[in-house]
Amino acid sequence: MTILPFPSFLDDVKAKGFKKAVFEGIDDSVERLTAGLNVQDLREAFRGEAASRRPNPRLTPHADGFWLHMRPSYFNRDVTGMYPTFRLGWLSSYFVFFETITGLLLMLWYTPAPEIAYGDMLTILSNVPLGQLMRDMHRLGAEFMVAVVAMHMMRTWITGSYKKPRQFTWFSGLLLLVITGFLSFSGYLLPWDQLSLWAVTIGASMAEATPVVGDQVNLLLRGAPELGANGLLRFYLLHVLALPALLFVFFGVHYYKVVIHGHSLPPQKENIGEDSAKRVPLDKRVYFIPDMLTYEMFWLGATTFIITVLCIWFYHAPLENHANPQVTPLGTTAPWYFLWIQGALKLGDKFFWGVAFPTIALGGLALLPYLDVTPSRRYSHRRFMLTIAMLLISVTTILSYMGLAKFAVQTSAETEIVHELTFEPAHSKVGIGRTIPFDQMIVGAYTTAQTHGQDEMSANDMIAEFNAEVAANGQFEQMIQELKDQHLGANQLPLRFRSIPADEAPKLMRVMEEFSHHLDAEPIELPNVWGSLVITDNQAGLKRLDWIVSWDSVLIEGGEVQLDDNGDPILVYATELVAVVDDNGNEVLDENGQPIQEERTKLDEDGNPVPARRIYSDHLFIHEAAAYFD
Amino acid sequence: MGRLLFIKSIEGRVLAGITMFVGMMILIGWVAINEEARMQAFVRQHTGRSIERGAELFASLCSECHGEEGYGADERAPGLNNPHLFGYDPVGVQTAAITNANRALVRLNKNIESLSNEMIDPENPPSDERQNEILAEIADLEAQIAEQQLAIETAVAERIEILGTLSQAVENGLFPLWDTVVDSDRTADNEVEIFFNSNGTRLAQVGWAGDLRGYIITTLIHGRPGSARVYPSSTGMAAWSQTAGGPLRQDEIEDLAEYILNWDKGSAWTNEDFGAVAQYGKPLADGSLPTGPQPEMVGDDVLGILARWEADEIVGSPTSGELLYSARFGCTDCHLNGASAPDTIGTLARIQNERLAEAGFAGYTVEQYLVESITRPGDYVVDGYSSGLMPDNFGGRMTDQQLADIVSYLMTQ
Repeated sequence: MTILPFPSFLDDVKAKGFKKAVFEGIDDSVERLTAGLNVQDLREAFRGEAASRRPNPRLTPHADGFWLHMRPSYFNRDVTGMYPTFRLGWLSSYFVFFETITGLLLMLWYTPAPEIAYGDMLTILSNVPLGQLMRDMHRLGAEFMVAVVAMHMMRTWITGSYKKPRQFTWFSGLLLLVITGFLSFSGYLLPWDQLSLWAVTIGASMAEATPVVGDQVNLLLRGAPELGANGLLRFYLLHVLALPALLFVFFGVHYYKVVIHGHSLPPQKENIGEDSAKRVPLDKRVYFIPDMLTYEMFWLGATTFIITVLCIWFYHAPLENHANPQVTPLGTTAPWYFLWIQGALKLGDKFFWGVAFPTIALGGLALLPYLDVTPSRRYSHRRFMLTIAMLLISVTTILSYMGLAKFAVQTSAETEIVHELTFEPAHSKVGIGRTIPFDQMIVGAYTTAQTHGQDEMSANDMIAEFNAEVAANGQFEQMIQELKDQHLGANQLPLRFRSIPADEAPKLMRVMEEFSHHLDAEPIELPNVWGSLVITDNQAGLKRLDWIVSWDSVLIEGGEVQLDDNGDPILVYATELVAVVDDNGNEVLDENGQPIQEERTKLDEDGNPVPARRIYSDHLFIHEAAAYFD
Repeated sequence: MGRLLFIKSIEGRVLAGITMFVGMMILIGWVAINEEARMQAFVRQHTGRSIERGAELFASLCSECHGEEGYGADERAPGLNNPHLFGYDPVGVQTAAITNANRALVRLNKNIESLSNEMIDPENPPSDERQNEILAEIADLEAQIAEQQLAIETAVAERIEILGTLSQAVENGLFPLWDTVVDSDRTADNEVEIFFNSNGTRLAQVGWAGDLRGYIITTLIHGRPGSARVYPSSTGMAAWSQTAGGPLRQDEIEDLAEYILNWDKGSAWTNEDFGAVAQYGKPLADGSLPTGPQPEMVGDDVLGILARWEADEIVGSPTSGELLYSARFGCTDCHLNGASAPDTIGTLARIQNERLAEAGFAGYTVEQYLVESITRPGDYVVDGYSSGLMPDNFGGRMTDQQLADIVSYLMTQ
């Protein structure tokens, strides 16, 4: 007989009393939720006591529950330490989920269209609470993930864990590494700033080198000959749909294989040729509940805490100017994890180094467990493979270094120097010229000539002498002409150089010293060089900075400065048109009665040839609120 | 390292884990509290950088026709660094003042009328006390009326003066379209006024219903046809936006608009600005082109300068003087150590004790000596220094205020 017309909790209360009925009800619910552990079991587990029930209830969630069915119920004590895994596999998995969560949050604010995407970035930074933090975390997590997955692979190689029976685990892991690289790379384009556009353009152009299908692959990837609306949409879909789908599939395969074969033991802990990972002696068992579970929750907290700290104080995801296919920034590189390919490309043939070499390298890695079939995992027996591993690390590092813009890229020194001083914020760095505090940008024309030989002469005397010198040899006039060509207002052209107000503007002084230092480091390419910085007022709160380099022209062939026998650069001399005179000193006339002129090297008063003077300039505007100097 | 990451006891791990989670939540909470300020700072910074990019675009694309400093260029395009564009209407300001004063007069008169009615109300005569009160109130209102009438007189006088200046500007060709305005009331006397009633600001002139930003952005996007009458050498403004077939993206259009709007001086525009800018990029009657307001320079009439300072109460600031002396005019380039010119340090003592003691300077003040030395350096050269070294054009390069600042700085040395 039930109290209500159907069986209910009240019947329990009637039968057992209220307190007992409630406690048993809670106990029952907890056991259902945890798929096997009641309150008493949980209490024992988290107190570190042995389980009082038999059979061990702590194994039931692995057998009956969904969430833990893929996790092993116990680990070998030998693999739970820092060595041999360094937790790199765990960290890789962590980043898969971390990136998914932060990425989903960012998706709420993002539209993959060229006209809108960059504006969305600005919105995330200017109008979404915690938007900047989310973006920083997603970006930093992506960089970490690539590094962690790569290190995970090297660790597997070094401990020989790819050997039988784990060949396929290794192969699926390699696929995950490639997918991770492409995931990170496809995300690079989405902010649609200069950095992303050009890094991806360079990356995607490597595909072009593939014979026969190269152009088609490239077209398929970009959606048009140039990266544009279609390209962005394709990269977006790759980033949020195709690649994550692939990643999760192979993540499942990879982890399934790991569990099936067990975590491989440190090489010296098992007999040669024997795989004892699945035979864990009772005294070596570390149970998932409660030990590994608490470890993992602690690591989860610690890792996320560290990333949060890094993103608050030490790292901000870069955002450069809006993508512009017409403006190629100086020193563009692929993302750092593709630098090794960019470096290899500098070695020669585009197809061989850009396509064949990476394919052979990755193919070699994929086949590694099938090529290296020696049974022993002991380090002392694997000297050859370990040497290869170290070589791989060294070669990749060297190639990555070679991939940097500063390695073997021909840019003229003056362009390089001015860029070094003025480049826009990128990768948390900014040209020092932009960091002069606004009130130290004192209007005037300054020259690096002042920073030379200040010991013998006062700055003012140096400047006075220099002013006279450049006025006499026409170099000042050449500079004024250059400024006019660069649309500097006629009212603002400087009349002469003046000394740098080092007391009011110490930072300005430092920038000029650095400018001078850079120029002096190039005596071959820039002989007799001087640099100048012309600061003018443009608007309220807006200054214009013109950077000028003036030097004697040198003979350059094939991108190399030509040297004479003494090792000095060969100068190019200025020429002028001179009327041709005959032996009597009369002008020679042509058929139409016009004097014939010929081009001759210009000579100074002493009869010495005058070197041709070259000038280069670039300018930037600095607004008071732009805060490059914070 | 391994030991640290592998806390042996479960309690230790649970505790450490909880600490980490709580720490993280506190950090994120702390970030969240500061988000408002951070986002505002980002907007400011972004606007600043937007103006920088706009400046770059303006210099390379627009300065050819609109002038490097936005004052317009000969027969090509109008000035944009221009009070007319930013809605500064010198006539309108005074007209509004007159209208307001007239409204006030109407109100004050009404008040007086109702008080008078109360005073003579036969049915309900006010008490003696009330009568005194009413008389006092009327006296007060009459004083206010007199005030408003004075305001009207001043504004009217100001307006007449401005219209006089504007007629000059019109004659100079700054508003070449003014004679096309057809109005039945138009006479030789009021034609300038009639023109300015509908053309006082650019937006009023073109009949633009939106705000200035919208006007600038629309013009940048679509361009506009050129008027052969006003701009004989212009082919009109091109459509700059990619949406209209031009080269610029929308964000670049906005950068440019941001830069142009940064010329706005708000309430600081003056009638001088108004009269000095090429509203239509049209050359003046004498063929020259306005180059923006030019400040009055000090000249080299020493006594005139000193009299002016006295009359206009110009007082120098040593702080600003020091910057002008060492940075802007580069005086310390020579006046240092006493090698090529007298040292800056000790200026005051030297003048007081040595120079003014000389017979030629009888009756000079220190100020007068300094002003003369700066504006007319050739008149007297201290023994031991060569003449002709110091440039004699400083009078043409400094304003009264700047010279006064430098003099006051030197008197502290």
